[in-house]
Amino acid sequence: MTGPWEELVSTALVGAGRRAVPPESLLERAAEQVVRMRAGRRPGRGTRPAPAAAETLPPVPRAAADRLARMLAGEQSRLLTEWLETAAARRLRVPAATIPGLLDLGARDRSIRAHLGAVTGARGRWLAGLNSTWAYLLAEPAHVPPDEVWELGTSGDRRAFLAAVRRRDPAAARELLERGWSAETPEDRAAFVAILADGLDMADEPFLEAALDDRRREVRQAAADLLTRLPGSRLAHRMTARASRFVTGNGPGLRAEPPADCDGAMERDGVRARPPAGMETRGWWLQQVVAHTPLSFWPGHLGMPPDEIARTRIGDWEREVRMGWTRAAILQRDTTWARALFEAEPLTDLLAVLPPEERSRRAAELVAGHPVDGQLVMMLGGVPRPWGSQLARAVLKKIVETTRTQPWNAGELIRLAGERFDPAAYAHAAEVPELAATLGFRFDMLKELS
Amino acid sequence: MSAALASLRRVTQGRSRDQAIEAPSAPAVAGDSSAEEAGGRAAVRRGQAEQREGRVAAGLSELERWLADQIGQGIAQARQTGPAGWDDLARRLVDAQAPGVAGMVTRLPRVLGAEDWPGLLLGEYALLHLLAVAHRRAGALPGPLRQTVRTRVGFPVTRESVLAGPVVRDLWDVVGCRDEEQERLVARRVWLAGRATGRAAMVLSFSPVGQPRESFPPPGTTIDADLAFYPGASPLRALVAVRHGDVEAGPPPGTEISRVPALIAEVLAADPWADSWPLVLAGVVPCPDGLADGAGADVLTAEGTGADGAGAETEGGGDAGADGLRTAGPGADSEGPGGEGPGDEGPRGEWDALPLHLPLHPAAGVPWRLLAVSGGRPVTVAAEWTPRGLLPLTVWDEEGEVVRL
Repeated sequence: MTGPWEELVSTALVGAGRRAVPPESLLERAAEQVVRMRAGRRPGRGTRPAPAAAETLPPVPRAAADRLARMLAGEQSRLLTEWLETAAARRLRVPAATIPGLLDLGARDRSIRAHLGAVTGARGRWLAGLNSTWAYLLAEPAHVPPDEVWELGTSGDRRAFLAAVRRRDPAAARELLERGWSAETPEDRAAFVAILADGLDMADEPFLEAALDDRRREVRQAAADLLTRLPGSRLAHRMTARASRFVTGNGPGLRAEPPADCDGAMERDGVRARPPAGMETRGWWLQQVVAHTPLSFWPGHLGMPPDEIARTRIGDWEREVRMGWTRAAILQRDTTWARALFEAEPLTDLLAVLPPEERSRRAAELVAGHPVDGQLVMMLGGVPRPWGSQLARAVLKKIVETTRTQPWNAGELIRLAGERFDPAAYAHAAEVPELAATLGFRFDMLKELS
Repeated sequence: MSAALASLRRVTQGRSRDQAIEAPSAPAVAGDSSAEEAGGRAAVRRGQAEQREGRVAAGLSELERWLADQIGQGIAQARQTGPAGWDDLARRLVDAQAPGVAGMVTRLPRVLGAEDWPGLLLGEYALLHLLAVAHRRAGALPGPLRQTVRTRVGFPVTRESVLAGPVVRDLWDVVGCRDEEQERLVARRVWLAGRATGRAAMVLSFSPVGQPRESFPPPGTTIDADLAFYPGASPLRALVAVRHGDVEAGPPPGTEISRVPALIAEVLAADPWADSWPLVLAGVVPCPDGLADGAGADVLTAEGTGADGAGAETEGGGDAGADGLRTAGPGADSEGPGGEGPGDEGPRGEWDALPLHLPLHPAAGVPWRLLAVSGGRPVTVAAEWTPRGLLPLTVWDEEGEVVRL
């Protein structure tokens, strides 16, 4: 299409001189045209996005919304996760204008996605449908939706629905799964299996055993992880048979011999053949077999109680066997074993299995005997919020000592303590102003969200 | 059409540049001053003013020659050679005490990012040319337009003289606010819309970077105030002369999309250089690339039946607005994919059933926060009109919550 305007532009491009047009007259005509075009532009036509569904959750209170906006702008941004977690637990939704910023954060940080699924409500899912960077949100459970969601909902909604049914009636949830199992996507199958952890019992065993034949590794893995928690399961028996060959009594000590190969039966039971980088292959298989063997098997097999087993030297492959037990204690949530293993080697991952009081006491002991360094901060990073009073006292003492002697060393511990202490304790932290400020901030933040 | 273009056409046509670089008209001299000292000061001021007139005239005359050279040689290489030349030109215009024109030149690189940069650049060159010529011929222009030209060129207007003029009292909705950093200064623009007068206003203030801005009520507030407008043919910039108080008034009343063309045509008719104007649009549905008319948004699935009244309004509104300008030809409507080309009757019916749609400025990106607040439902949006599209400023959601964009 060429009109008068296009002709002017093409003349201007090649030069008015070449076309023997006086430049002034070209500019005058162009000025008139451009003003006419700007003034005469009429609205075009276009489609509108379909409206978002109505919200089902109430909005957060005004003060909380204002604080969220400040946090998104950078103030105390490390506490954002706790803000989101709290709002999600209290079933509140964020102001719509904050959703794009939050979804951008979630695109980079997986750990907050589950909270985002809850707090961004219907508007969040609507936006996620318009922007592929945010599509991850559609896999996150939102609020518990009505029945028809099982047939029609996003996978996030369906996961939330299944989890709710499972809480109410474990068998009904499993039967719901069995009915349409083959039509589910691999991602959904893996997520659905994991949901069965809630209310797990032997009635789930046949379903989970069948899931070991799934085409997708993540599904097999999730099923195997659950079956190890059922000592009566067929998988538990198979693993026990293997473990009894690989770890045996050896006089006063123990002896370990890793599997010679990883056969199809082992792989089916969730043993991964390829080790992570830097790990010896057979040791990796051994560790996985131990990790998936019911812990209740060992005292009878080795003729000693757990605390003794945890202390006994093994010789070759000791590290792999211990890692296996540690993993098993966490997977099977076994406090006796967790305690025994922690005494032998204080891995903070094990603390998560212990009751809160004991967790706090043991971590406090650990802090008292340890200098402030990267290792201590990393270990404490493994202890979830909120820290009990014993641990908090020990850490505060450590911080006060360190700020006197090596103030440059205390910063990271102060920040971690700020995130993990019970915020009601802020009055006790007056000696450390930065810590007191963070705790005061959290105290107000949590109060606003109630 | 526009009074301004008509006046400008009269003064630009028929005379060539060589004919007259007239002596700049000296400003009216005040009457005899009895006090000798005062008279001396006045004389100094007069001398400075005359000197400035001379410099500006010379600077703009050079600009005219420069533009003619560019167009004569062709602008095909502007992407490579343009920026350096423009820097140079802008500096000379600052020296010539024409900071307004210098600013227009400084902003030229913005067009180079666009695919259709040759057309955009020609448009900017043409408007610069029009301004230079208009200034040269200012004597033949009507008063308000002459003042617009002088303001655009960069002649200062003192605060005092503005405040000494008439004021407009109204309930003014603060509809938008934007800070822009330029040369160690933060320029803050606050846009206002008058409830009773329907007038738009813009209050401009500067503060050094890093220092607290002059405080102004935030978007969403309504102030009862006397505004004094800077003179011009399409006055927008204003000062708050007296602020009587704030009032609770809820979201501002807005215009429909179908009425926007008429409004913009009116602005440009008075001031062809206008490149920014605040709009408050009611009942619009934000889309990823624009704002759509929200009429009948609830019955969207009704397959474009009579459900949305927008279709009927369009024709009327569009024609009324663009009356007289439509003769500009196909180029004028290049935005609408439906086109107006002859023999394009077939798909028009379906196309017309879609809602009216105003595009956003390409630099605005997808307005995610605006979309989030609207959720696909009609809202009130304040936006800055620019020749290349809208820049969203503020949105009022269904509950009347105000969100700055």
